[in-house]
Amino acid sequence: MADALVIRNLNKSFGGLRAVQDVSFSIPEGETVALIGPNGAGKTTTFSLITGYHRADTGSVMAFGRELVGLEPQDVCAHGLARTFQVARPFGKMTVLANVMTGAFLRDKKHDVAKRKAREVIDFVGLSAHEHAPARDLTTIDQRRLELARALATQPRILLLDEVMAGLNPSETDQAVALIIRLKQRGLTVVVIEHVMRAIMALARHIVVLDHGQKIAEGNPNDVMTNPEVIRAYLGSNYVHAEASGAGQC
Amino acid sequence: MSGKFSRKTLWLSVLFALMLLLPQFVTSRFYMDIVIRVLLFSFIGVAWNLMGGYAKQLSLGHAAYFGLGAYTSTMLQINYGISPWIGMIAGGGVAMLASLPIGALCFRLRGPYFTISTIAMAQVLMLLFLKFRDFAWGAEGTTIPNLGDAPWMMQFEEKAAYFYIALALLVVGLVVTWAVERSWMGYYLVALGEDEDAAQAIGVNVPKMKRHIYLISTFLTALAGTFYIQYIYFIDPPTAFSFNISVEAALVSIVGGIGTLWGPVVGTVLLEVTSTLLQSWLGGGHGGVQLTVYSLILMAVILWRPAGLLGLITDVYHRIFGNKQQSEQEAALDG
Amino acid sequence: MLVTVAQALINGLLIGGIYALVSIGVTLIFGVVKVVNFAQGEIVMAGMYTSYFCATLLGIDPLVSLLISMPALFIVGVCLQHFLIRRVLKLGDMPQIFLTFALSLLLTNVALLLFKADYRTIQTSYSDTAIHIGPVYIAVAKLIAFGVAMLLSALLWVFLRTTDLGKAMRASAQNPEVSMLMGINPDLVFAVAVGLALALAGAAGSLLMPFYPAYPMVGQVFILMAFVAVVLGTLGNVTGALIASLMMGVAESLGIQFVGADSGLIVVFVMFLVTLIIRPNGLFGGKRR
Repeated sequence: MADALVIRNLNKSFGGLRAVQDVSFSIPEGETVALIGPNGAGKTTTFSLITGYHRADTGSVMAFGRELVGLEPQDVCAHGLARTFQVARPFGKMTVLANVMTGAFLRDKKHDVAKRKAREVIDFVGLSAHEHAPARDLTTIDQRRLELARALATQPRILLLDEVMAGLNPSETDQAVALIIRLKQRGLTVVVIEHVMRAIMALARHIVVLDHGQKIAEGNPNDVMTNPEVIRAYLGSNYVHAEASGAGQC
Repeated sequence: MSGKFSRKTLWLSVLFALMLLLPQFVTSRFYMDIVIRVLLFSFIGVAWNLMGGYAKQLSLGHAAYFGLGAYTSTMLQINYGISPWIGMIAGGGVAMLASLPIGALCFRLRGPYFTISTIAMAQVLMLLFLKFRDFAWGAEGTTIPNLGDAPWMMQFEEKAAYFYIALALLVVGLVVTWAVERSWMGYYLVALGEDEDAAQAIGVNVPKMKRHIYLISTFLTALAGTFYIQYIYFIDPPTAFSFNISVEAALVSIVGGIGTLWGPVVGTVLLEVTSTLLQSWLGGGHGGVQLTVYSLILMAVILWRPAGLLGLITDVYHRIFGNKQQSEQEAALDG
Repeated sequence: MLVTVAQALINGLLIGGIYALVSIGVTLIFGVVKVVNFAQGEIVMAGMYTSYFCATLLGIDPLVSLLISMPALFIVGVCLQHFLIRRVLKLGDMPQIFLTFALSLLLTNVALLLFKADYRTIQTSYSDTAIHIGPVYIAVAKLIAFGVAMLLSALLWVFLRTTDLGKAMRASAQNPEVSMLMGINPDLVFAVAVGLALALAGAAGSLLMPFYPAYPMVGQVFILMAFVAVVLGTLGNVTGALIASLMMGVAESLGIQFVGADSGLIVVFVMFLVTLIIRPNGLFGGKRR
């Protein structure tokens, strides 16, 4: 299948810190890919580079054949890439419905159309009961659902999810996984930044591992999890000789 | 829902009819003057609120556009004999043009930085008009030649005429706000006011939205400037670019209810009535009383009711009429 | 020509020292508490009236009443933080901006009620004396004011760098959670920061009194200068605010000398606008993100 997203030789420095170094990977359309790595590995920065929040120093991000480097976040979104933030950022004063409608207005400025679409997505993420609640009154988990709904309302073709499972209990994680699988079935290309192994294993057939801003491994979950570079990155060099099979479960 | 809707319409119709008839009952020039001030400052507040309230771009420099509107129409009138009715629209146009470079500079800043830069911009404009003696009468200012009853030059014998103009301006401001609030623009503005990055993530073109709402807000503010100068028959830089205009525009909106349709009106009524009562109790000659009280009210509102006093009034209304069920969410900030 | 320039430079530098006291206060509060104090100019006014009444009623020299105005306004600052600012810290831009703005309006207008709009000046033994260096003269009162202002700025700098509380302030300017990690109560850090800022503004007021009239609206001049200086020097950066203030004083003075008596402010604002165009984060700022 054709590639939805092709990232080539991406570089970004902040002051002296090289946050992302020469990262390349591509994602076939309709695939779900996990971006993993220890804290500070450059995962969120990579998201920000793709979605226009930071401008890459060098390199290229092609989505469906169009160069995204240099575009503003709203243009990236209009091109069909929607992201969520690591810490959910709802519009607190607005109701759940108004939040999601704001997303829906990107594709259709008509009030009734936006409202109908918003309700569909709210129903999809399971927030219908809270439709008229102000977003700031939601629980953290519901705020994340809302953020997902708001992103979906922009009708993306690629969805970038930044740690949506963090802090969820196992049954909530399974719900979220089920939700993402349904999105995949609808034909969406999904990129997740995730730490929760249970979710990664259930979702992604392809994993990209970053460490210190560099891609250190890429491949199917089993290969990646037994890769000594990856184990070293996660556990520190002292543990290189530790049992590799155990490391995959952390 | 439809019952509530019609009741709201009914109240509005009664209010509007009463306003139309008001000059029949209020014959005292003193009270008429207060009513006109209330309408005018409500309108200025409404204009500020579009940008300051919905989009949370807290300008303290709207006097710049009030002054530009005032000077444009006055200069057209005195130098070229052009009617202030035309000058008013021209002033609005000048304000919109000026808002583009000013906005381009100020919108690069966020939060308090933005507020400070708007103050500086208005100050610069005032200083420029003070400086350019040949061009706009400098510091001395000028009086508007009194033509007696000259409706086509926006001059009237009767205060009632000014009243109707101010009322019309306010209605225009409210209708514009109502339309914005209900459309996608209202949602986009509130969203970017809440969180610019998150708004961009869902496709909101934040700089463009700010620019657009600034154009609308400055156009309306300039109309108020023309009207005010025609009403008082005098213009000089400290009057036209008065910092108090910037302050009161923000103040009435915050006290009444920032980012709400009726907030600026409620705020103006409350503040102007308070100030009038104070003046009648204390008599003149107590410079500072009015703003002392305004600032105390502002502090109290911020500390105890930052959403403004409009909410308090609607709560009381709902309590009296026992009408508590939520209406359908029709606008970005309803409910 | 050269003499006029030298004279203007000196005058500007000297008044720039006073601007520095005001801007350092604004920048200190913004750095630590993340609130812009719109009332800082009115605190200068309060310092001026304190010294004025100390001089006229008690016969105390303004340089001595500095020792009254500074601690008094330090206490006012601690109360301001504790009773007002603390309550809006989590409420976002609107309450934070308009609370201190309301305070500024309140203080100006209370002063107007109490003292009327009159200009009040006092005469000291050194009010009219000047040192002559060749054709250039230096007003003694301004020189003293400048010297004390620089001394106070230096003391603050030392305080911020050597004491635990000062270090906690600098740390919490970088990252609010750090002072808690250092085991220092953030409420205390905030209160002392606001207290110090107000004490500096109060000092500015006392130092101005021998050569500058006190009136209710006097704060506006200084707050505008401070805002411009603080944005130029990047909000939250103490050294930046100091350098920018001196530059502003000089720019204003040159403007008055060469463009006209009412043009000092225009020059300053033009500088401000140019800075906004070329460096929206101030002369001494880093990157925004």
